[in-house]
Amino acid sequence: MIGLAYEGYYLGRRTLRRFYRVPANPISVVLYPLIQLFVFSQLFKDIVQLPGFGGGTSYLAYLAPGQITFTVFFAVSWAGTNLLVDYRNGYLDKLRVTPINRYSILVGELVPLFVSCSIMAGAILVLSVLLGASIATGLPGAVAILVLGGLFGVAWAGTSFVPALLTKSEQAAGTLSLLFFPVAFMSTAFVPPALMPEWLRIVNDWNPITFVIEAMRALMTTGFDWPAIGRALVAIAALGVVLHGATLWAFRRLTN
Amino acid sequence: MDDDAKPSAIPSTPRVSPPVVEVQDLVKVYPGGTRAVDGISFAVTAGEFLGFLGPNGAGKTTTIRILATLLRPTSGTARVGGLDVVADAAAVRRRVGFAMQTVAIDALSTGRENLELIGRLHRVPTAQLRTRVDELLELMGLAEVAARRAGSYSGGMRRRLDLASALVHRPEVLFLDEPTEGLDPQSRSALWAELERINRTGTTMILTTHYMEEADRLCRRLAIIDAGRIAVEGSPIDLKRSVGADSVVLRLAGAGEGDGDKDGAGYGLAAAQDAVVRLLADFVPLAGLERTPVGVALGVPDAERAIPDLMRRLDSGGIHIDGLSMTSPSLDDVFLHYTGSRIRTEEADRPIDLGWWG
Repeated sequence: MIGLAYEGYYLGRRTLRRFYRVPANPISVVLYPLIQLFVFSQLFKDIVQLPGFGGGTSYLAYLAPGQITFTVFFAVSWAGTNLLVDYRNGYLDKLRVTPINRYSILVGELVPLFVSCSIMAGAILVLSVLLGASIATGLPGAVAILVLGGLFGVAWAGTSFVPALLTKSEQAAGTLSLLFFPVAFMSTAFVPPALMPEWLRIVNDWNPITFVIEAMRALMTTGFDWPAIGRALVAIAALGVVLHGATLWAFRRLTN
Repeated sequence: MDDDAKPSAIPSTPRVSPPVVEVQDLVKVYPGGTRAVDGISFAVTAGEFLGFLGPNGAGKTTTIRILATLLRPTSGTARVGGLDVVADAAAVRRRVGFAMQTVAIDALSTGRENLELIGRLHRVPTAQLRTRVDELLELMGLAEVAARRAGSYSGGMRRRLDLASALVHRPEVLFLDEPTEGLDPQSRSALWAELERINRTGTTMILTTHYMEEADRLCRRLAIIDAGRIAVEGSPIDLKRSVGADSVVLRLAGAGEGDGDKDGAGYGLAAAQDAVVRLLADFVPLAGLERTPVGVALGVPDAERAIPDLMRRLDSGGIHIDGLSMTSPSLDDVFLHYTGSRIRTEEADRPIDLGWWG
């Protein structure tokens, strides 16, 4: 356990270097959600007049939490390809001839995603405040949003790691993680359930992304909704267990 | 073929200390059924510099990857420092360094960061790590670029950084898989000097190569490997001696004058050749004599030592020698003798396949 933490720490610092030393990485992660936030909030400004929204909030404030999950998604969608690059150029072998626990390599890839996702989510949160959104719970609430974003990112990263490790193809890793789009559009990222057709509402009821977004939305618009935060954490944990159970299996296959 | 290729044919290095690396009947069959290593046994004592020489696909890389704990053998055992590479893999990893065929460095980290990370993973204590990294950067001539990202390094610098990263934890045994593959001649000889220096400090070295020049220069002991088996092992000199005599080619006075006056020169040359034959009739080391258009070619085992005596003899007989050249059997001749095929470096040296547009 100490070994995992120690080795994961140093390997994780390398993972962060790899992300931030290419300026295109952080920029491209924030860019798309920012455009979507800006354009959609203008385009559908009056959508909040519809009864399903319950009135009151601006569409910008409604939209922001969903865009945070989009940001987090972009931050992790290529995460699995790092390991693939290491596998291909021999760096993974180099790590394996050092006397480390091989799972430290996974720790060193996954834990930094929490940091990256929180920072990227923070950037979009700041930008949405600048655009006119407000955070009802203040700074503690903002921190809670970033923690939720970071945890969600680590869990969701499995959709990038599993195909990357199984197919050893960057293409597969990037493409399969695009799964996020339909799942996100079937959540409350853009419209409340009241405006959804029946079948979509059922999907939405089981959509983990909805739970994450709803907890963030409560933090932004109303207050600390502990049951919602609890549901979000359970959804993230469930997602993490399933996806990273598979990641672990795929990683063992790759390194055996 | 294997019977006459027994190692006993070659005087082996005397072994006093227990072996650091001990390999017994090693076999590796890949899932596809390829028998990459087909029963290899050898032992290496502390401080030795052993080379595996063979063509690509001979099983060198597979063997060295098993020793470095990256591959599991199908059968047989391999021990490093008395520890089994499968059962005690973690302990083996603490004692060995491995510089792989492909340079594996992190391009987005600086040279120093690259070394520090590997040092941390080997649990080199913080206080020692700094001095060790400084020392290695200095040794490898990377001190000035230590703060630059490794991605900006030249091919030679990348190799040296990669080698340095295999040395951060002061391994007892260093495995090198084709260490100079893809380097230009200058970088190659600089790296050779570096490897010799590392070996002098007491590090046991095991290297694979398909460059005969490299094997000749660096390795005090060679194992010629082909089709997953060791065909023969011994020191480069002994191996070369075992396949035949050196050849000494003499250019005799008068030979060059033949251009304008064939008859006169031809007579002079023939007479000189006859005189050489007479003079060397009872020259003991002589293993063969052949007339050439400009003189004679002699087969002389251990020519290096026999030449002074040979020269005195010819001199006393009044033979004027215009030129002398000496060639020894090459490792390629050794390879051919023991395996029946050539190493085919031309093929091995071919650059990376560029695909359909190359």
